[in-house]
Parts: sequence; structure tokens; C-alpha cells
Amino acid sequence: MENDKQKTIFETKPLIGADETIKEAKWKDEEFRKIRLAFMNILEDTEAARQEAIREKAQTLAIINNIPNGIIVLDKDNKIELVNPLAESFLKSKKDELMGKNIFKISSPDLDLIPFYKVIKNGKKDKIKYGLRREIVMGGNKFLEVSAVPLEISEQDKKTLIIIYDVSRDKLIESMKTEFVSIAAHQLRTPLSAIKWTISMLLNGDVGKLTPEQQELLEKTYESNERMISLINDLLNVTRIEEGRFLYKPAPTHLELLTETAIQNAEDLLKIKKIKLDYKKPKRVLPQILADQEKVGLVIQNLLENAIKYTPEEGTIQISLGQEKNNILFKIKDSGVGIPQDQQNRIFTKFFRGSNVMRLETDGSGLGLYTAKNIIDAHKGKIWFESQEGQGTTFYFTLPIMPKDKNKTA
Amino acid sequence: MKILIVEDDELLREMLARKLIEKSYIIETAEDGEIGLSAMRVFKPDLVLLDLIMPKKSGFQVLEEMQTDELLRKIPVIIISNSGQPVELEKAKQLGVLDWIIKTEFNPSEVVEKVMTLEKQLFLK
Repeated sequence: MENDKQKTIFETKPLIGADETIKEAKWKDEEFRKIRLAFMNILEDTEAARQEAIREKAQTLAIINNIPNGIIVLDKDNKIELVNPLAESFLKSKKDELMGKNIFKISSPDLDLIPFYKVIKNGKKDKIKYGLRREIVMGGNKFLEVSAVPLEISEQDKKTLIIIYDVSRDKLIESMKTEFVSIAAHQLRTPLSAIKWTISMLLNGDVGKLTPEQQELLEKTYESNERMISLINDLLNVTRIEEGRFLYKPAPTHLELLTETAIQNAEDLLKIKKIKLDYKKPKRVLPQILADQEKVGLVIQNLLENAIKYTPEEGTIQISLGQEKNNILFKIKDSGVGIPQDQQNRIFTKFFRGSNVMRLETDGSGLGLYTAKNIIDAHKGKIWFESQEGQGTTFYFTLPIMPKDKNKTA
Repeated sequence: MKILIVEDDELLREMLARKLIEKSYIIETAEDGEIGLSAMRVFKPDLVLLDLIMPKKSGFQVLEEMQTDELLRKIPVIIISNSGQPVELEKAKQLGVLDWIIKTEFNPSEVVEKVMTLEKQLFLK
């Protein structure tokens, strides 16, 4: 090849003088050698880069193919550009049938693709580029979570990334847990109901009049049984709270109403201990919050019951509600025994009970505040307290006010 | 008013029946879901008090079967159970259940009171 090139030069260049020709030829030769070397280098680099690109592509593909999620990439016209084996199996079609085809035109007889398409359509529209994630059922008993995310490679090249997770197992565990809690509740509560019902019938005189002594003994037994019942209620609440820490049906709610219900329910307890409850109802109606009413009600109930439990007879409890920026602030102040300084950091942990209250009252599961914190956290609120041993405790929690636009649709 | 109690625990079933008979309700009892369903067809109760976890047929199975029957579908049902998770409550609501009583939360006399208020509501309708 080298000779050929030289020959060409000799032919195209006119002969001027032999010496000069030889000199020039040598110089050219040298020049060509350099060019050739540089060229070879470039070629080598290109080849290396090409190999690297192939290797990288293969690696990316291997990763995509082995990822435990279904992955589909659509080009700007919704044609399938990439599909991994798991996505093939979710769509019950082979790769060859899918590639290049418009996703909205694929067909599979035993699949309901409408919910799947909805996610893609809405996910593509998402302006904040977070995409959309939804749980759907396409066919059979497979629960899938589908994410559609806009993938902007460049201004002109807008793709869509679809990720499909199989959440059937999570669903199964969830339902097993529900069943377990249900059976546990049943097994634990059944004998307690029987005891409760029997004693209450005896106390009622349904099977004959009791002597004062019998009456007193049975009343005590009834109380013990009630304690056991509330302990199991606490345990079941914790299980439910931990069951995904999710909120069941948040709805627009006035915190005043939940507070008033809790106060009404506690009236008997307040009377027994002759505690004065001062409820400062806000002068004007507070904005609504988005809350799981049962659970937030439970928080207020727990805080109020604690306040009553740990406040000596004829003490006082103050409850107030108010708005603070974008939050509703709930405040409950008691004149109770307080929480010892050295234990204040453990107050919201599971099964915690203050050493001073353990001496005071034997019942209590140590789950009330743990549950309360979990619920408030799930509502994106805050819960905290101030306390001085012997003086009393004030618990606060805030819950975010519902955004205005949601107010309209609600 | 005729009330059918479907409850597998004998003690609870008998106590409840006794309390309701005192208030001069006409009572029939069944100790499992299967007997409960056939009792419904014969006894034609105005109200069913239904436990959930029972042998042979569970309370939910009973409710589902009631839904498929033109006559049984119309009978009002109160669940008397020891469980009461939100998922279960929601499912029961969809199956047309009127109310839900957690046994440990109520005394038998409170259950009777509940039945009586419900009777008034039904009567008004």
C-alpha cells in the first residue's frame, strides 16, 4: 500500500530535478508516515471507543433485561423502542410483536389495558417530570404498579419511560396481615366479651339480686376485664398503624368536631376524677384539614385520656385550638404529674411508660403516644410537648390546612 | 319484631337472646353461617344480628349470599363482631350492612338499646 501511494505521487508530480524530487519524496514520505500513524491512532481510538460503546450498550441492556421490573421505552410517537423480558411477560406478548409498534395499538386478548393506558397518558402529560405512579390490575390476580415518566433526551427527542412493578406479593402479605389481625382480635376478644357480658348481666341483677359484697367484687372484676380490653385495643391499633402507616380515606375535616367528640366521650372519666376541663373553642371556624377522622380522633382521645389519667383529682385540663400559618394547632395542658426530664426523649417510643406514672397507676400499655406520633407523622404534622415533673404537661400537635383548590372539589 | 341471632359462641348467643326476649322481641338463633342462611329463609326475620368469624360459613360469606337472593337482600343486618378493621367495615358497608358492634365495646343491654333505636328508625321509614 505504501508503494502504491508513492507511485501516485511520482506520477502526479512533474519532474523538476532528481535531487529535489528525491528530497521532496523523502519529505513527503516522512509526512505520510506521520499522517498514517496519526490516522492509525485515530482509528484505534475510534475502534476502542466503539468497543467500549458496544460493551456499554450490552451492559445497559443486560441490566435492563435483568432488572426485576418491567421496562418499556416509547419514542415521541409512542412506538415501543425498548422492552425488557419482564415487560414482555406483563403484556403477554413477544418482543418481536412489540418492537416498533404503537403502545396504544397493542392487543392482548386476556388483558384489560385501559387502566395501563390511562397511566401512560397521564404520566406523559406530567409537567413536573415526576411522572405518574398507579396501582392497577391488568388481568388475572396480578397487581401491578405502573409508573410512566417523561424522558426528555433533547428538545426534539421526548420519550416515555414506563416501569412496571409486580406488587402482587405485597398485596398478598397485606391481606394476610389483615386476616391475621382479624383473627387475633377475634381470638383475644371473644373470651373477654363473654366475661364482660356475663358480669354485666350479673351486675344488672338479671339473674337475681346481689349482696353488696358480691356487687363490689364483681365490679372490680369488671374493671380488670375492661383494662384487658383496652390493652388489646391498643395493641390492635398499633398493628393497624404499622400496617403500612397509611391513612385510610383522608377527608376534609374540622378539627373542632373531632375535639368535641373526644371531650364528650371523656365526660364520665372527667366526672369521676372531678377534673375541670376548659375548652377554648376558636371564635371563628377554623380551616379544614385533610384527615383520617378515626385516627386523628384516636390521637385526641389518647392525649385527653392521658391528661385525665395523670392529673390528680380536682385538677384542671385546658384544650385550645387555633390557626398558626398553614397549620391548625391543637394544645392540651394538664396540671398532672409531668414527665421526668431524663425520660422525655423516649416518650414517643413503643411501650414506653414514665417511671413516675408506673408507680401511680398500674394500667396503660405504653402505646398511646407511640400511636399518636405515627398518626400525626402520617398526616405530615408535628407533635411535641413541654413538661415539668410535678407541674404538668402540655402536648401540642399541628396538622397542615387543606390546600384551597382541594377544598373546592371536596 | 323478629330478630335472628347468628353467633357461634353459645354464651353470647344465649345472653343476647335472653335480653331481647325480655323486651318482647321474637328471637331465633343460629350457631353458624349455614344454619343462619337457612333460618333466614324460613323465619323471615326483620333484623339479623350477624357474627363474622363462624364455622361453616363466615359472616361475610353469609352477606355475599344474601346479596344474591332477592328476598334476603332486603333484610337489615347489624354485625356483632370482635374485629372491626377499616377494610372490613368498608367491605361490610358495600354489602349493605346497617351497623357494626364490637362486642367488647358494648354490654348486652347496650346492644339491646341499639336494636331498639334501630327499630324506631326502620319503623319511621
